[in-house]
Amino acid sequence: MTERIVGTERPESESEPTAGDRDVVLRGSDLAKTYSSRLPFGRSVEVLTGASVTIRRGEVVGIVGGNGSGKSTLMKILVGELDADEGTVDVNGRVGWCPQDELLYDRLTVEETFRLFGEAYGMDPTEIESARDRLAETLDFEEFLDYRIDRLSGGNRQKINLSIALMHDPDVLLLDEPYTGFDWETYLAFWDLTAALRERGTAVAIISHLINEQERFDRILELADGTLTDVTDEGSSQAGEEGVR
Amino acid sequence: MTVSRPSSDRLRVGLDAAVREFVREPINVALLVVLPPVVITSYESMLSAFPRLPYMTTDPGALGATAGTLFVAAFLPAVIGLFQVISAQRADERLSLAGFPELALFVSRLGAVCLATLLTAALSLGVLATTTEVESLALGFLTLAFVGGLYGLIGMLIGTVLPRELEGSLVLIFVVDVDEALASGVIATDAAATKLFPLHYPHEVFQAAVDGTAPAATDVLAAATYGAIVLVATFLVYTALAATGGGGG
Repeated sequence: MTERIVGTERPESESEPTAGDRDVVLRGSDLAKTYSSRLPFGRSVEVLTGASVTIRRGEVVGIVGGNGSGKSTLMKILVGELDADEGTVDVNGRVGWCPQDELLYDRLTVEETFRLFGEAYGMDPTEIESARDRLAETLDFEEFLDYRIDRLSGGNRQKINLSIALMHDPDVLLLDEPYTGFDWETYLAFWDLTAALRERGTAVAIISHLINEQERFDRILELADGTLTDVTDEGSSQAGEEGVR
Repeated sequence: MTVSRPSSDRLRVGLDAAVREFVREPINVALLVVLPPVVITSYESMLSAFPRLPYMTTDPGALGATAGTLFVAAFLPAVIGLFQVISAQRADERLSLAGFPELALFVSRLGAVCLATLLTAALSLGVLATTTEVESLALGFLTLAFVGGLYGLIGMLIGTVLPRELEGSLVLIFVVDVDEALASGVIATDAAATKLFPLHYPHEVFQAAVDGTAPAATDVLAAATYGAIVLVATFLVYTALAATGGGGG
């Protein structure tokens, strides 16, 4: 099971964080995960074998990897949806999670969805309304607030999926293939939003099987063979600080 | 921003969302309205064709109507409980990760099941009353509502440990059918194990409501104890498996 340290839960025995550490909003260390078969003679799949990642305030990090490389597994472990077999996750602040599949309630309207998740985040009705209106304007879904989720197009559902992850002003935003289904305008609006978040000090980690515009990222990590390697400087095969174990 | 909100607000919003989700699925409402009369009249006409066997204490037709009423009052909430858990499982996990309390989530899901339970109990009793004289409608309604709640919880429990719609539905239809057949006395058996089935004691109480006799205190107590155990077990399993906590969202 993953050891998960949130905010002030750090054991007293640990030394005080350094200035660099204080900027760290999310750190996953030596994460390992194997999916074991429940059936006899079934095959076990080793997905992560010691992956480490550190995400700091105000940076945009891309995490790339081939199909089945374990990107979504890593994301689920970082947000707490899944337990790792080994390793620790250290969270310093609020986490926003935009999963690859829209995990929303089909028969609720967009407005009701905001209300429900806003309550979960502990926001009061005024804050919920304000966040909903701000995001609806930015991502252009104001006219769909009364629509049921199952009656929205794929692109609009993805906008709501993203907005739910953002509505509580997280310190770190984890996005799993966030722009699937976006049209060009929305894609640009997404990057404008990401730039604004970065300005405010929010860390953004984007998991994708493909990164086209490398210049939009501060760092790019590649997940392969169960570990993460810093590949920001293209052509470099050396492991960065995330290290290959 | 994320200050602590009163749990009553979260509960109200969660319940409201669960009920809205439920009633916005037309097939749910249609099943609740159509199935009780169909099932109860079918059971009655099927058993009417039966000879009155020596061990039967009631006319087979009346026995069929009572058995059909209990079956439908148990089965529909059970299936709804199952689907409440399965259909929203992953979204519930996300909501839980966002900070929604597991207890509020559980109560929200149970609230939608209870709504279905009350509707089914009222309709089933109404249909039964058209063919059989029910001496105590209040006790009859309370017993059917209890049966619905009990099997609604069992549906949620099965949906949590076996999150597959087809397999879960098959398990439920088999369990409720066997349970009611044993409880009603259609099958002659003295096996002590039959007393472990959920409908054994509620059936006795319901029969007392139909006959207008006072229910045995031991039956009421045993049914209530059974219900409390199922409630606690379902809550523990649900919070352990269906909803997970964390710091994401």
